[in-house]
Amino acid sequence: MAASIGAASCRALFCRSWGKRLSAAGRLLGGARGLAAQGETHLGFQTVPEAEKEQRVYQVFESVAKKYDIMNDSMSFGIHRLWKDILLHQMNPYPGTQLLDVAGGTGDIAFRFINYIRSQREYQLRQKLKSHQNLSWQEISKSYQEEALKPLGGSQVVICDINKEMLKVGKQKAQHLGYTEGLSWVVGNAEELPFDDDKFDVYTIAFGIRNVTHIDQALQEAYRVLQPGGRFLCLEFSQVNNPLISRLYDLYSFQVIPVLGEIIAGDWKSYQYLVESIRQFPAQEEFKAMIEDAGFLKVEYRNLTAGIVAIHSGFKL
Amino acid sequence: MLGRAAALRRGLQVAAGGTRGPDSGRGSAQPARLDPALLGLLVCPLSKRPLRYEESTNELINEELGIAYPVVDGIPNMIPQVARKIEAEPPHPTGEESKQS
Repeated sequence: MAASIGAASCRALFCRSWGKRLSAAGRLLGGARGLAAQGETHLGFQTVPEAEKEQRVYQVFESVAKKYDIMNDSMSFGIHRLWKDILLHQMNPYPGTQLLDVAGGTGDIAFRFINYIRSQREYQLRQKLKSHQNLSWQEISKSYQEEALKPLGGSQVVICDINKEMLKVGKQKAQHLGYTEGLSWVVGNAEELPFDDDKFDVYTIAFGIRNVTHIDQALQEAYRVLQPGGRFLCLEFSQVNNPLISRLYDLYSFQVIPVLGEIIAGDWKSYQYLVESIRQFPAQEEFKAMIEDAGFLKVEYRNLTAGIVAIHSGFKL
Repeated sequence: MLGRAAALRRGLQVAAGGTRGPDSGRGSAQPARLDPALLGLLVCPLSKRPLRYEESTNELINEELGIAYPVVDGIPNMIPQVARKIEAEPPHPTGEESKQS
């Protein structure tokens, strides 16, 4: 009862500004290209000077960092976990893989990566023991000792995020969940990565790239730090093509998510920004072309959940 | 046997972790050190050249450009806007503020 009243009043509040916002959005969408050329960029449906976007996005994530995970769960009904699992399956890393996870502040991709490597490693070990049936006790003990020394087979994940508040949350989570080995944390900007050329096997960016001011620069940097043969993987909101689902999705995004943001995180504006920024991000094909422009080859994408999100993949060959 | 090895390793880690515990040295608590796994990967985001880790100040230093990136709680902050300006090493050692710690 109380909840429904709350939701209703929030909706009323929202509707008041809705008409104005829609027309503003229309104007913006029309004139977006011209403006972008003059050093301005989107911040959700607003247009702001490029220099300002980075700072504003920083404030958004600084504000939501502590509630980021619970918000993700409640906004997506937990489906974001499946999307991230699918990303890992597509990556299919092996013990030894070096991963750079950009905009990965709260560690969602990194922890999945570690889990995946661990299970791969266990599988390897089991296969090895199975294939030598008559091992001596010493040999078996040695293999376990090896395992204890290098549980990840040399794999490492570097989590790079421009927002130190997000990293702080991620690092605490890592300690809490007992991840110690193979994780490193760095505050860095996706547009000017602080890593040497050709260092990583995989570059991931999950729900991060749409917040970057110059996406083309971020893609070029991804290309630079990957070693030849390395793979770029991006999980990001995309465009829903089914008109019916699209209507429902819009309704949900604009009517419900900011309300949830207000109720759970006490921050309507940041979540308003999040849903708007999703609408501004280029659709599947356009983003694919951008990845190709950065030099990646064999660029493909797959839609998940009717295109609400998409995984783009490309190789540096 | 294994237990001893683990204890030894832990001991080594503590040694590598430097002085921890009750505020040792210069007033401020000793900050967490840089993760050694990162040293081989990190470069200056501006020049893309390797950096030198200065243990005494817990900073990563680009001597060419004269900037120092802080390491806070073991996390290097590689945002140029946050970096500290220091005097560049080679060019003219004469005059200007010589603020080297």
